[in-house]
Amino acid sequence: MTSGSRTIRVDTLARVEGEGSLYVKLVGERVADVKLKIYEPPRLFEAFLRGRHFSEAADITARICGICPIAYQMSAVHAIERALGIQIDPAVRLLRRLFYCGEWIESHTLHVYMLHAPDFLGYEDVIGMARDHREVVERALRLKKIGNRIVQLLGGREIHPVSAAVGGFSKVPTRNQLRELASDLEWALTASLETVQWTSNLEFPNFEQDYEFVALRHPDEYPFNEGRLASNRGLDIDAAEYEDHFREMHVKHSNALHSVLRGRGSYLVGPMARFNLNFDKLPAAAQQAAAKAGLQPPVKNPFRSIVIRAVELVFACAEALRVIQEYVPPSAARVVAPNRAGVGQAITEAPRGIIYHRYELDENGLILTAKIVPPTSQNQKRIEDDLREFAAQLVAWPLDEATWKCEQAIRNYDPCISCATHFLKLDVERQ
Amino acid sequence: MKVIGCGNAERGDDRAGLLVAERLRQLGFRAEAHFGDSLSLFEKWSAADRVVVVDAVMTGAPPGTVFAWDRELPHVPDGLSVSSHGFDIAKALELAQALEKLPAHLRIYGIEGRQFELGSNLSPEVERAVEAVVQRIAAQPF
Repeated sequence: MTSGSRTIRVDTLARVEGEGSLYVKLVGERVADVKLKIYEPPRLFEAFLRGRHFSEAADITARICGICPIAYQMSAVHAIERALGIQIDPAVRLLRRLFYCGEWIESHTLHVYMLHAPDFLGYEDVIGMARDHREVVERALRLKKIGNRIVQLLGGREIHPVSAAVGGFSKVPTRNQLRELASDLEWALTASLETVQWTSNLEFPNFEQDYEFVALRHPDEYPFNEGRLASNRGLDIDAAEYEDHFREMHVKHSNALHSVLRGRGSYLVGPMARFNLNFDKLPAAAQQAAAKAGLQPPVKNPFRSIVIRAVELVFACAEALRVIQEYVPPSAARVVAPNRAGVGQAITEAPRGIIYHRYELDENGLILTAKIVPPTSQNQKRIEDDLREFAAQLVAWPLDEATWKCEQAIRNYDPCISCATHFLKLDVERQ
Repeated sequence: MKVIGCGNAERGDDRAGLLVAERLRQLGFRAEAHFGDSLSLFEKWSAADRVVVVDAVMTGAPPGTVFAWDRELPHVPDGLSVSSHGFDIAKALELAQALEKLPAHLRIYGIEGRQFELGSNLSPEVERAVEAVVQRIAAQPF
């Protein structure tokens, strides 16, 4: 390798998001600079929401993401319910957990098998992997379909469910309708356990960081929609205090938005944060699977998050089975949501991590302001910091391999843009 | 024949496929919309079906250009589909092929789009192309 500097510059292909780019500058053995931009903030949606009635928020925000619409819906309805001061029926609460199980199953399966595993096994994409590992990919497709089935049953329409509403759901299933999911879910639980096993055998780079993990924490359960916001460094706040502790800053160089903990800096949200902060709330099957896979909290190697996602699949299947056993339909699909002025915030756990919503309503129920902070934007600074450290391990590698490893590192975080297999295009700059 | 229109209703010309499906449904054809990630697309058909998939594309051709491919994978050009979240159509179809899950008869229409930003409108060229594709499919069912 010659002396002087090398640049890994990766710009997106002409794709819709248009905003994924990575720039890594190597000078000799040193990582001189890293600039990452992978996120498009939902400012347009926040603007769309202004002037709309609160009953439209769930449906509108669900369109922000095709992979995790339920996460947006859940945060929206919880925030608005808080603003209005209304309580949901316990049966509805149970259904919302089931709804989220469906989304986690679908999203985590897609990421583990279709987007991330190919990196570990040396395949360009899942298509190459499917030729050599057909049963594995078919298992993944079947598992993903079961997640979609849950979402469809509750949401009425697969990708953009219309049924979630402020105060409950526009319609609720019967007990029998849920029971019909049981045999699929039993298969899914077995498949999830196999997934933990399968991912635990992958090869992981030796890379650990000292993260501040941020996730919801709940006294009784592995968190979805409720709990206080906590971290491994003493954070313990209510959703209403979120903006007192977190802020978004515009980063000049990349037009990206970095979310930071005030006075502290970058942080990490998502499965690894949840796992590390809530391990004791996982059902026994998930805890045992994790232990057998060699996972013990705190896990600090982000490459191992693929195994953690598999453990969360076990949780989601077990939780879904529990819900369909316990569910008794509520007397009303939803409680009355009156027009009332107020402000409400909520944080729920999307597959990728916490998502924060805040709404201000006027006395007619119209939205005055909306704020949405998705998980990928919160991880962006942390991903960049990871790359800065990780790229140091790659200085001697051939440029195309180093680029691929950087992509793999980004995919640890399952950011929305990771769905584009080759969103990073190589551009070499030599000084 | 089964028509599947893909796209994102919030992203300008990316709603082209959805509009084609909607129009054909109004005309009495078996047509449905498919949102978000394309991965589960091939669960929407069985081996015996005759399937038409319609989606917006970005190949650099003039906006409104209509492409048609008949089961010619993997020669589907790059740029097919602008699915913003998830597996794009070309990859989904490649995967279906690798798993031997393609239908016996498959035709893909691509409509070249111009604007895909969140909240943008449908371009006039694409609106015309949508109508042209609807007429083509309706006149000559696959």
